[in-house]
Amino acid sequence: MSSLFKYDKDREAASAAKVRALEALLIKKGVLGSDSVDAVLRHFETVASPFNGARIVARAWVDAEYKARLLEDTPKAIAELQFPGMTGAEGEHMKAVANSATVHNLIICTLCSCYSWPVLGLPPYWYKDPVFRSRGVREPRAVLREFGVTIPEGKEVKVWDSSAQIRWFVIPERPAHSEHLNEEQLAALVTPEAMMGVALVPSPPPCLRHPNVYLIRRICRDADARATRFATA
Amino acid sequence: MRLQHYLGGLENLGPVNFFEKKVFMAEWEKRIFGIHTVMMAESVHLDKSLPKYPLSEVPTTFKDTWTWASLRIGAENMQPFEYFKYRYYEKWLMGISQFFIDRGYVTAKELATLTEHYRAHPDSPLPEQPNPALKEQVVRYLHHGDSGLRAPADLVRFAVGDTVYVTDPEAADHTRLPGFLRNKKGTVTEVYPGAFEYFVSTGPDGLDGLQHVYCVSFLASDIWGPDKSEPNTVIYADLFEAYLKPAHSM
Repeated sequence: MSSLFKYDKDREAASAAKVRALEALLIKKGVLGSDSVDAVLRHFETVASPFNGARIVARAWVDAEYKARLLEDTPKAIAELQFPGMTGAEGEHMKAVANSATVHNLIICTLCSCYSWPVLGLPPYWYKDPVFRSRGVREPRAVLREFGVTIPEGKEVKVWDSSAQIRWFVIPERPAHSEHLNEEQLAALVTPEAMMGVALVPSPPPCLRHPNVYLIRRICRDADARATRFATA
Repeated sequence: MRLQHYLGGLENLGPVNFFEKKVFMAEWEKRIFGIHTVMMAESVHLDKSLPKYPLSEVPTTFKDTWTWASLRIGAENMQPFEYFKYRYYEKWLMGISQFFIDRGYVTAKELATLTEHYRAHPDSPLPEQPNPALKEQVVRYLHHGDSGLRAPADLVRFAVGDTVYVTDPEAADHTRLPGFLRNKKGTVTEVYPGAFEYFVSTGPDGLDGLQHVYCVSFLASDIWGPDKSEPNTVIYADLFEAYLKPAHSM
Protein backbone atom coordinates (compact mmCIF):
# COMPACT_ATOMS: atom_id res chain seq x y z
CA MET A 1 0.00 0.00 0.00
CA SER A 2 1.09 3.49 -0.67
CA SER A 3 2.39 5.04 2.54
CA LEU A 4 -0.01 7.88 1.69
CA PHE A 5 -2.73 5.83 3.31
CA LYS A 6 -0.89 4.46 6.30
CA TYR A 7 -1.80 6.69 9.20
CA ASP A 8 -0.38 7.29 12.63
CA LYS A 9 -1.87 5.63 15.68
CA ASP A 10 -3.54 8.81 16.83
CA ARG A 11 -5.60 9.20 13.66
CA GLU A 12 -6.64 5.53 13.74
CA ALA A 13 -7.54 5.75 17.45
CA ALA A 14 -9.72 8.80 16.79
CA SER A 15 -11.63 6.97 14.04
CA ALA A 16 -11.92 3.83 16.20
CA ALA A 17 -13.41 5.85 19.08
CA LYS A 18 -15.81 7.69 16.77
CA VAL A 19 -17.15 4.56 15.08
CA ARG A 20 -17.59 2.86 18.45
CA ALA A 21 -19.46 5.88 19.79
CA LEU A 22 -21.66 5.92 16.69
CA GLU A 23 -22.45 2.22 16.96
CA ALA A 24 -23.20 2.56 20.69
CA LEU A 25 -25.58 5.49 20.10
CA LEU A 26 -27.36 3.71 17.25
CA ILE A 27 -27.84 0.62 19.44
CA LYS A 28 -29.24 2.74 22.28
CA LYS A 29 -31.63 4.49 19.89
CA GLY A 30 -32.87 1.30 18.28
CA VAL A 31 -31.38 1.83 14.81
CA LEU A 32 -29.10 -1.18 15.25
CA GLY A 33 -29.07 -4.20 17.52
CA SER A 34 -25.83 -5.04 19.29
CA ASP A 35 -25.72 -8.17 17.10
CA SER A 36 -26.41 -6.42 13.76
CA VAL A 37 -22.91 -5.41 12.66
CA ASP A 38 -21.51 -8.78 13.70
CA ALA A 39 -24.17 -10.48 11.53
CA VAL A 40 -22.87 -8.55 8.52
CA LEU A 41 -19.26 -9.42 9.22
CA ARG A 42 -20.07 -13.09 9.80
CA HIS A 43 -21.71 -13.22 6.36
CA PHE A 44 -18.40 -12.26 4.76
CA GLU A 45 -16.49 -14.80 6.81
CA THR A 46 -18.84 -17.70 6.10
CA VAL A 47 -21.05 -17.11 3.05
CA ALA A 48 -19.75 -14.43 0.64
CA SER A 49 -16.08 -15.20 0.19
CA PRO A 50 -13.51 -15.63 -2.59
CA PHE A 51 -13.69 -19.39 -1.91
CA ASN A 52 -16.91 -19.38 -3.94
CA GLY A 53 -15.28 -17.71 -6.92
CA ALA A 54 -12.29 -20.04 -6.71
CA ARG A 55 -14.57 -23.09 -6.74
CA ILE A 56 -16.54 -21.71 -9.70
CA VAL A 57 -13.30 -21.12 -11.62
CA ALA A 58 -12.00 -24.59 -10.80
CA ARG A 59 -15.24 -26.13 -12.04
CA ALA A 60 -14.95 -24.15 -15.27
CA TRP A 61 -11.38 -25.43 -15.70
CA VAL A 62 -12.30 -29.08 -15.34
CA ASP A 63 -15.61 -28.95 -17.22
CA ALA A 64 -15.61 -27.11 -20.56
CA GLU A 65 -19.38 -27.36 -20.88
CA TYR A 66 -19.82 -25.78 -17.48
CA LYS A 67 -17.48 -22.97 -18.53
CA ALA A 68 -19.57 -22.35 -21.65
CA ARG A 69 -22.74 -22.19 -19.53
CA LEU A 70 -21.02 -19.87 -17.05
CA LEU A 71 -20.09 -17.43 -19.80
CA GLU A 72 -23.51 -17.70 -21.43
CA ASP A 73 -25.63 -17.19 -18.31
CA THR A 74 -23.49 -16.58 -15.24
CA PRO A 75 -26.17 -16.53 -12.50
CA LYS A 76 -27.78 -19.70 -13.84
CA ALA A 77 -24.49 -21.58 -14.00
CA ILE A 78 -23.53 -20.42 -10.51
CA ALA A 79 -26.94 -21.56 -9.23
CA GLU A 80 -26.12 -25.11 -10.40
CA LEU A 81 -23.46 -25.30 -7.69
CA GLN A 82 -26.03 -24.50 -4.97
CA PHE A 83 -23.83 -22.22 -2.87
CA PRO A 84 -25.96 -20.08 -0.55
CA GLY A 85 -26.47 -16.36 -1.14
CA MET A 86 -25.22 -16.27 -4.72
CA THR A 87 -27.81 -13.74 -5.89
CA GLY A 88 -27.48 -11.65 -2.75
CA ALA A 89 -26.28 -8.11 -2.20
CA GLU A 90 -23.87 -6.94 -4.91
CA GLY A 91 -24.35 -10.18 -6.78
CA GLU A 92 -27.82 -9.55 -8.15
CA HIS A 93 -26.39 -9.39 -11.69
CA MET A 94 -22.99 -11.02 -12.10
CA LYS A 95 -21.13 -11.81 -15.30
CA ALA A 96 -18.01 -13.85 -15.89
CA VAL A 97 -15.47 -13.11 -18.63
CA ALA A 98 -12.73 -15.57 -19.57
CA ASN A 99 -9.05 -14.98 -20.13
CA SER A 100 -7.61 -16.89 -23.07
CA ALA A 101 -4.57 -17.08 -25.31
CA THR A 102 -5.81 -13.97 -27.12
CA VAL A 103 -7.63 -11.92 -24.43
CA HIS A 104 -6.79 -10.65 -20.96
CA ASN A 105 -9.59 -9.13 -18.86
CA LEU A 106 -9.27 -6.55 -16.10
CA ILE A 107 -12.14 -5.51 -13.81
CA ILE A 108 -12.35 -2.01 -12.40
CA CYS A 109 -14.83 0.46 -10.93
CA THR A 110 -13.66 3.98 -11.70
CA LEU A 111 -16.60 5.67 -9.94
CA CYS A 112 -16.55 3.74 -6.66
CA SER A 113 -15.76 0.14 -5.73
CA CYS A 114 -18.42 -2.17 -7.22
CA TYR A 115 -17.35 -5.77 -6.66
CA SER A 116 -19.00 -9.22 -6.93
CA TRP A 117 -19.58 -9.81 -3.22
CA PRO A 118 -21.10 -13.32 -3.31
CA VAL A 119 -18.26 -14.85 -5.31
CA LEU A 120 -15.37 -12.64 -4.25
CA GLY A 121 -16.22 -11.32 -0.79
CA LEU A 122 -15.22 -7.73 -0.11
CA PRO A 123 -12.79 -5.78 -2.28
CA PRO A 124 -9.16 -5.57 -1.19
CA TYR A 125 -7.65 -2.17 -0.57
CA TRP A 126 -5.83 -1.90 -3.91
CA TYR A 127 -9.15 -2.17 -5.80
CA LYS A 128 -10.57 0.87 -3.96
CA ASP A 129 -7.40 2.94 -4.18
CA PRO A 130 -7.87 6.03 -6.39
CA VAL A 131 -4.51 5.30 -8.04
CA PHE A 132 -5.71 1.95 -9.40
CA ARG A 133 -9.10 3.39 -10.38
CA SER A 134 -7.45 6.23 -12.28
CA ARG A 135 -4.71 4.35 -14.07
CA GLY A 136 -6.45 1.05 -14.72
CA VAL A 137 -8.48 2.46 -17.62
CA ARG A 138 -5.76 4.65 -19.08
CA GLU A 139 -2.75 2.36 -18.96
CA PRO A 140 -3.93 -1.09 -17.92
CA ARG A 141 -0.85 -2.79 -19.36
CA ALA A 142 1.49 -0.55 -17.37
CA VAL A 143 -0.49 -1.18 -14.18
CA LEU A 144 -0.47 -4.93 -14.84
CA ARG A 145 3.32 -4.84 -15.32
CA GLU A 146 3.63 -3.22 -11.90
CA PHE A 147 1.58 -6.11 -10.53
CA GLY A 148 4.06 -8.46 -12.22
CA VAL A 149 1.87 -9.42 -15.19
CA THR A 150 3.22 -8.69 -18.66
CA ILE A 151 0.64 -8.90 -21.45
CA PRO A 152 2.16 -9.22 -24.94
CA GLU A 153 1.09 -6.48 -27.36
CA GLY A 154 -0.64 -9.00 -29.59
CA LYS A 155 -2.97 -10.04 -26.78
CA GLU A 156 -6.07 -7.89 -26.45
CA VAL A 157 -6.70 -6.22 -23.10
CA LYS A 158 -10.35 -5.75 -22.15
CA VAL A 159 -11.10 -3.46 -19.22
CA TRP A 160 -14.57 -3.73 -17.67
CA ASP A 161 -15.75 -0.62 -15.81
CA SER A 162 -18.55 -1.59 -13.40
CA SER A 163 -20.72 1.49 -13.79
CA ALA A 164 -24.26 0.06 -13.61
CA GLN A 165 -25.74 -3.20 -12.29
CA ILE A 166 -23.37 -5.84 -13.64
CA ARG A 167 -20.64 -7.10 -11.32
CA TRP A 168 -17.87 -8.67 -13.39
CA PHE A 169 -15.34 -11.32 -12.52
CA VAL A 170 -12.64 -13.10 -14.50
CA ILE A 171 -12.13 -16.78 -15.20
CA PRO A 172 -8.34 -16.84 -15.33
CA GLU A 173 -6.42 -19.25 -17.54
CA ARG A 174 -5.72 -22.62 -16.03
CA PRO A 175 -2.01 -22.82 -15.25
CA ALA A 176 0.30 -25.28 -16.97
CA HIS A 177 1.39 -28.38 -15.04
CA SER A 178 -1.89 -28.53 -13.13
CA GLU A 179 -3.35 -31.53 -14.98
CA HIS A 180 -3.01 -33.86 -12.00
CA LEU A 181 -4.76 -31.56 -9.53
CA ASN A 182 -8.38 -32.19 -8.66
CA GLU A 183 -11.04 -29.51 -8.50
CA GLU A 184 -10.49 -28.71 -4.86
CA GLN A 185 -6.75 -28.47 -5.31
CA LEU A 186 -7.19 -26.22 -8.33
CA ALA A 187 -9.53 -23.94 -6.38
CA ALA A 188 -6.80 -23.48 -3.79
CA LEU A 189 -4.60 -21.88 -6.45
CA VAL A 190 -7.12 -19.17 -7.43
CA THR A 191 -6.80 -15.75 -5.78
CA PRO A 192 -9.21 -12.79 -5.75
CA GLU A 193 -6.55 -10.86 -7.69
CA ALA A 194 -6.62 -13.48 -10.46
CA MET A 195 -10.43 -13.18 -10.56
CA MET A 196 -10.11 -9.39 -11.00
CA GLY A 197 -7.48 -9.78 -13.71
CA VAL A 198 -4.48 -8.20 -11.97
CA ALA A 199 -2.78 -11.55 -11.44
CA LEU A 200 -2.39 -14.82 -13.29
CA VAL A 201 -2.74 -18.18 -11.63
CA PRO A 202 0.82 -19.48 -11.42
CA SER A 203 1.76 -23.05 -12.21
CA PRO A 204 2.28 -25.16 -9.14
CA PRO A 205 6.01 -24.97 -8.25
CA PRO A 206 8.07 -27.91 -9.62
CA CYS A 207 8.05 -29.69 -6.28
CA LEU A 208 4.24 -29.74 -6.40
CA ARG A 209 3.85 -31.03 -9.92
CA HIS A 210 3.33 -34.56 -8.66
CA PRO A 211 0.26 -35.96 -7.01
CA ASN A 212 1.90 -35.98 -3.62
CA VAL A 213 -0.69 -35.57 -0.95
CA TYR A 214 1.60 -33.94 1.62
CA LEU A 215 2.69 -31.26 -0.78
CA ILE A 216 -0.85 -30.61 -1.96
CA ARG A 217 -1.79 -30.02 1.64
CA ARG A 218 0.76 -27.25 1.69
CA ILE A 219 -0.98 -25.52 -1.23
CA CYS A 220 -4.21 -25.67 0.72
CA ARG A 221 -2.52 -24.19 3.79
CA ASP A 222 -1.31 -21.28 1.66
CA ALA A 223 -4.87 -20.76 0.49
CA ASP A 224 -6.02 -20.63 4.11
CA ALA A 225 -3.37 -18.01 4.76
CA ARG A 226 -4.77 -15.95 1.91
CA ALA A 227 -8.23 -16.24 3.38
CA THR A 228 -7.04 -14.56 6.55
CA ARG A 229 -6.74 -11.29 4.64
CA PHE A 230 -10.14 -10.47 6.07
CA ALA A 231 -8.37 -9.99 9.39
CA THR A 232 -6.42 -6.78 9.81
CA ALA A 233 -3.83 -8.01 12.27
CA MET B 1 -16.32 19.00 -14.08
CA ARG B 2 -16.48 17.26 -10.75
CA LEU B 3 -13.18 15.61 -10.08
CA GLN B 4 -14.54 12.48 -8.38
CA HIS B 5 -16.48 11.67 -11.56
CA TYR B 6 -13.27 11.85 -13.57
CA LEU B 7 -10.93 9.59 -11.62
CA GLY B 8 -10.63 7.26 -14.60
CA GLY B 9 -7.70 8.57 -16.63
CA LEU B 10 -6.05 10.91 -14.10
CA GLU B 11 -2.31 10.94 -14.60
CA ASN B 12 0.74 11.64 -12.44
CA LEU B 13 -0.51 9.58 -9.52
CA GLY B 14 2.59 7.42 -9.29
CA PRO B 15 2.75 3.65 -9.25
CA VAL B 16 0.16 1.35 -7.76
CA ASN B 17 3.30 0.39 -5.98
CA PHE B 18 2.23 -1.78 -3.15
CA PHE B 19 -0.20 -4.55 -3.66
CA GLU B 20 -2.27 -4.13 -0.52
CA LYS B 21 -4.56 -7.14 -0.37
CA LYS B 22 -6.18 -6.49 2.98
CA VAL B 23 -9.87 -5.52 2.88
CA PHE B 24 -9.75 -3.48 6.06
CA MET B 25 -6.71 -1.39 6.90
CA ALA B 26 -7.74 -1.11 10.54
CA GLU B 27 -10.08 -3.08 12.77
CA TRP B 28 -12.44 -0.11 13.25
CA GLU B 29 -13.18 -0.06 9.49
CA LYS B 30 -15.14 -3.31 9.83
CA ARG B 31 -17.62 -1.57 12.13
CA ILE B 32 -18.48 1.29 9.76
CA PHE B 33 -18.77 -1.14 6.87
CA GLY B 34 -21.18 -3.17 9.01
CA ILE B 35 -23.23 -0.14 10.07
CA HIS B 36 -23.64 0.92 6.43
CA THR B 37 -24.72 -2.57 5.37
CA VAL B 38 -27.28 -2.83 8.19
CA MET B 39 -28.67 0.55 7.12
CA MET B 40 -29.08 -0.75 3.56
CA ALA B 41 -30.82 -3.85 4.95
CA GLU B 42 -33.38 -1.80 6.92
CA SER B 43 -33.81 1.06 4.44
CA VAL B 44 -37.47 2.01 3.96
CA HIS B 45 -37.13 1.77 0.16
CA LEU B 46 -36.87 -2.03 0.45
CA ASP B 47 -40.66 -2.29 0.75
CA LYS B 48 -40.66 -1.70 -3.01
CA SER B 49 -37.75 -3.99 -3.84
CA LEU B 50 -37.85 -7.11 -5.98
CA PRO B 51 -37.41 -9.56 -3.07
CA LYS B 52 -40.43 -9.21 -0.80
CA TYR B 53 -38.90 -8.14 2.49
CA PRO B 54 -41.22 -8.10 5.53
CA LEU B 55 -39.91 -4.68 6.47
CA SER B 56 -42.93 -3.64 8.51
CA GLU B 57 -42.22 -6.55 10.88
CA VAL B 58 -38.63 -5.47 11.52
CA PRO B 59 -38.34 -3.60 14.80
CA THR B 60 -36.14 -0.57 14.11
CA THR B 61 -36.28 3.15 14.64
CA PHE B 62 -34.55 3.71 11.28
CA LYS B 63 -37.09 5.42 9.02
CA ASP B 64 -35.03 6.61 6.07
CA THR B 65 -33.83 5.44 2.69
CA TRP B 66 -30.18 4.42 2.69
CA THR B 67 -28.64 2.89 -0.43
CA TRP B 68 -25.34 2.84 -2.27
CA ALA B 69 -26.45 6.10 -3.84
CA SER B 70 -26.56 7.77 -0.41
CA LEU B 71 -22.96 6.85 0.24
CA ARG B 72 -21.83 7.75 -3.29
CA ILE B 73 -23.55 11.15 -3.21
CA GLY B 74 -21.66 11.92 -0.01
CA ALA B 75 -18.29 10.97 -1.47
CA GLU B 76 -18.91 12.67 -4.81
CA ASN B 77 -19.94 15.88 -3.08
CA MET B 78 -16.81 16.18 -1.00
CA GLN B 79 -14.50 18.99 -1.94
CA PRO B 80 -11.95 17.11 -4.09
CA PHE B 81 -8.93 18.20 -2.05
CA GLU B 82 -10.73 16.81 1.00
CA TYR B 83 -11.74 13.65 -0.85
CA PHE B 84 -8.13 12.70 -1.48
CA LYS B 85 -7.07 13.36 2.09
CA TYR B 86 -9.09 10.54 3.55
CA ARG B 87 -8.87 6.81 3.29
CA TYR B 88 -11.83 4.89 1.89
CA TYR B 89 -13.64 4.00 5.13
CA GLU B 90 -12.77 7.34 6.75
CA LYS B 91 -15.00 8.92 4.13
CA TRP B 92 -17.76 6.44 5.01
CA LEU B 93 -17.43 7.25 8.70
CA MET B 94 -17.65 11.00 8.02
CA GLY B 95 -20.63 10.70 5.67
CA ILE B 96 -22.62 8.25 7.78
CA SER B 97 -22.08 10.10 11.08
CA GLN B 98 -23.13 13.34 9.44
CA PHE B 99 -26.24 11.67 8.02
CA PHE B 100 -27.37 10.53 11.48
CA ILE B 101 -26.75 14.03 12.86
CA ASP B 102 -28.52 15.77 9.97
CA ARG B 103 -31.53 13.47 10.25
CA GLY B 104 -31.77 13.96 14.00
CA TYR B 105 -31.02 10.40 15.13
CA VAL B 106 -28.06 11.61 17.20
CA THR B 107 -26.74 15.05 18.10
CA ALA B 108 -23.24 16.21 17.27
CA LYS B 109 -22.71 16.81 20.97
CA GLU B 110 -23.65 13.31 22.14
CA LEU B 111 -21.50 11.79 19.42
CA ALA B 112 -18.53 13.98 20.42
CA THR B 113 -18.99 13.22 24.11
CA LEU B 114 -19.25 9.49 23.63
CA THR B 115 -16.30 9.55 21.20
CA GLU B 116 -14.22 11.12 23.97
CA HIS B 117 -15.36 8.39 26.33
CA TYR B 118 -14.29 5.61 23.97
CA ARG B 119 -11.06 7.47 23.23
CA ALA B 120 -10.23 7.38 26.93
CA HIS B 121 -11.58 3.84 27.40
CA PRO B 122 -11.20 2.01 24.07
CA ASP B 123 -12.17 -1.31 25.63
CA SER B 124 -15.33 -0.17 27.32
CA PRO B 125 -18.15 -2.30 25.92
CA LEU B 126 -20.99 -1.49 23.54
CA PRO B 127 -24.51 -1.60 24.98
CA GLU B 128 -25.86 -5.17 25.03
CA GLN B 129 -29.18 -4.95 23.19
CA PRO B 130 -29.55 -7.69 20.56
CA ASN B 131 -32.30 -7.42 17.95
CA PRO B 132 -32.90 -10.90 16.52
CA ALA B 133 -35.58 -9.82 14.03
CA LEU B 134 -33.31 -7.12 12.60
CA LYS B 135 -30.47 -9.60 12.44
CA GLU B 136 -32.71 -11.91 10.40
CA GLN B 137 -33.52 -9.07 8.02
CA VAL B 138 -29.80 -8.30 7.63
CA VAL B 139 -29.13 -11.92 6.72
CA ARG B 140 -32.10 -11.96 4.32
CA TYR B 141 -30.89 -8.79 2.63
CA LEU B 142 -27.38 -10.15 2.21
CA HIS B 143 -28.80 -13.33 0.68
CA HIS B 144 -31.34 -11.72 -1.64
CA GLY B 145 -29.99 -8.25 -2.40
CA ASP B 146 -31.75 -5.30 -3.96
CA SER B 147 -31.77 -5.52 -7.74
CA GLY B 148 -32.81 -2.49 -9.74
CA LEU B 149 -34.42 -4.77 -12.34
CA ARG B 150 -38.04 -3.83 -12.93
CA ALA B 151 -40.72 -4.71 -15.46
CA PRO B 152 -39.40 -4.80 -19.01
CA ALA B 153 -39.68 -1.35 -20.51
CA ASP B 154 -41.09 -0.95 -23.98
CA LEU B 155 -38.85 0.71 -26.49
CA VAL B 156 -35.20 -0.24 -26.70
CA ARG B 157 -33.40 2.65 -28.40
CA PHE B 158 -30.20 0.86 -29.36
CA ALA B 159 -29.26 -2.57 -30.66
CA VAL B 160 -26.09 -4.62 -30.51
CA GLY B 161 -23.64 -3.27 -33.08
CA ASP B 162 -24.99 0.29 -33.03
CA THR B 163 -22.47 3.09 -32.93
CA VAL B 164 -23.37 5.46 -30.11
CA TYR B 165 -22.00 8.61 -28.57
CA VAL B 166 -21.91 9.30 -24.87
CA THR B 167 -23.78 12.39 -23.73
CA ASP B 168 -22.24 15.23 -21.77
CA PRO B 169 -24.88 16.07 -19.15
CA GLU B 170 -24.63 18.88 -16.67
CA ALA B 171 -22.42 17.99 -13.72
CA ALA B 172 -24.75 16.88 -10.92
CA ASP B 173 -24.32 15.74 -7.31
CA HIS B 174 -24.17 12.16 -8.45
CA THR B 175 -23.72 10.22 -11.66
CA ARG B 176 -23.13 6.70 -12.93
CA LEU B 177 -21.40 8.02 -16.02
CA PRO B 178 -17.61 7.74 -15.77
CA GLY B 179 -16.33 11.20 -16.76
CA PHE B 180 -13.66 9.92 -19.14
CA LEU B 181 -16.35 8.53 -21.45
CA ARG B 182 -18.22 11.80 -22.01
CA ASN B 183 -18.57 12.65 -25.73
CA LYS B 184 -16.76 9.46 -26.75
CA LYS B 185 -17.80 7.11 -29.51
CA GLY B 186 -18.58 3.50 -28.67
CA THR B 187 -20.34 0.38 -29.90
CA VAL B 188 -23.21 -1.38 -28.16
CA THR B 189 -22.10 -4.93 -27.35
CA GLU B 190 -25.02 -6.03 -25.20
CA VAL B 191 -28.54 -4.87 -24.39
CA TYR B 192 -29.36 -6.11 -20.90
CA PRO B 193 -32.80 -7.70 -20.68
CA GLY B 194 -35.40 -5.71 -18.76
CA ALA B 195 -35.20 -2.18 -17.49
CA PHE B 196 -33.49 -0.87 -14.41
CA GLU B 197 -34.32 1.78 -11.92
CA TYR B 198 -31.43 3.47 -10.17
CA PHE B 199 -31.78 4.14 -6.43
CA VAL B 200 -32.34 7.87 -6.90
CA SER B 201 -33.03 10.41 -9.60
CA THR B 202 -29.81 12.19 -10.52
CA GLY B 203 -31.71 15.22 -11.87
CA PRO B 204 -30.02 16.96 -14.79
CA ASP B 205 -27.52 14.09 -14.99
CA GLY B 206 -30.34 12.01 -16.46
CA LEU B 207 -31.11 8.97 -14.29
CA ASP B 208 -34.79 8.96 -13.51
CA GLY B 209 -37.28 6.10 -13.56
CA LEU B 210 -36.93 2.97 -15.65
CA GLN B 211 -34.14 2.76 -18.21
CA HIS B 212 -32.46 0.20 -20.38
CA VAL B 213 -28.82 -0.47 -19.66
CA TYR B 214 -26.28 -1.27 -22.35
CA CYS B 215 -22.78 -2.63 -22.38
CA VAL B 216 -20.77 -0.34 -24.64
CA SER B 217 -17.23 -0.91 -25.89
CA PHE B 218 -14.74 1.89 -26.54
CA LEU B 219 -11.37 1.63 -28.25
CA ALA B 220 -8.71 3.00 -25.90
CA SER B 221 -7.39 4.98 -28.88
CA ASP B 222 -10.81 6.64 -29.31
CA ILE B 223 -10.75 7.73 -25.68
CA TRP B 224 -7.17 8.79 -25.07
CA GLY B 225 -5.97 9.38 -28.62
CA PRO B 226 -3.99 6.97 -30.82
CA ASP B 227 -0.62 8.28 -29.66
CA LYS B 228 -1.52 8.35 -26.00
CA SER B 229 -3.08 4.95 -25.53
CA GLU B 230 -1.79 1.44 -25.14
CA PRO B 231 -2.21 -0.86 -28.16
CA ASN B 232 -4.95 -3.43 -28.62
CA THR B 233 -7.00 -2.26 -25.65
CA VAL B 234 -10.78 -2.01 -25.34
CA ILE B 235 -12.76 -0.52 -22.46
CA TYR B 236 -16.26 -1.75 -21.70
CA ALA B 237 -18.72 0.18 -19.56
CA ASP B 238 -22.31 -0.50 -18.54
CA LEU B 239 -24.28 2.64 -19.36
CA PHE B 240 -27.85 3.69 -18.67
CA GLU B 241 -29.76 4.76 -21.78
CA ALA B 242 -29.83 8.42 -20.69
CA TYR B 243 -26.08 8.56 -21.22
CA LEU B 244 -26.23 7.49 -24.87
CA LYS B 245 -27.26 9.16 -28.10
CA PRO B 246 -27.33 7.77 -31.63
CA ALA B 247 -24.33 8.34 -33.90
CA HIS B 248 -26.41 10.21 -36.48
CA SER B 249 -27.22 12.89 -33.89
CA MET B 250 -23.58 14.04 -33.98
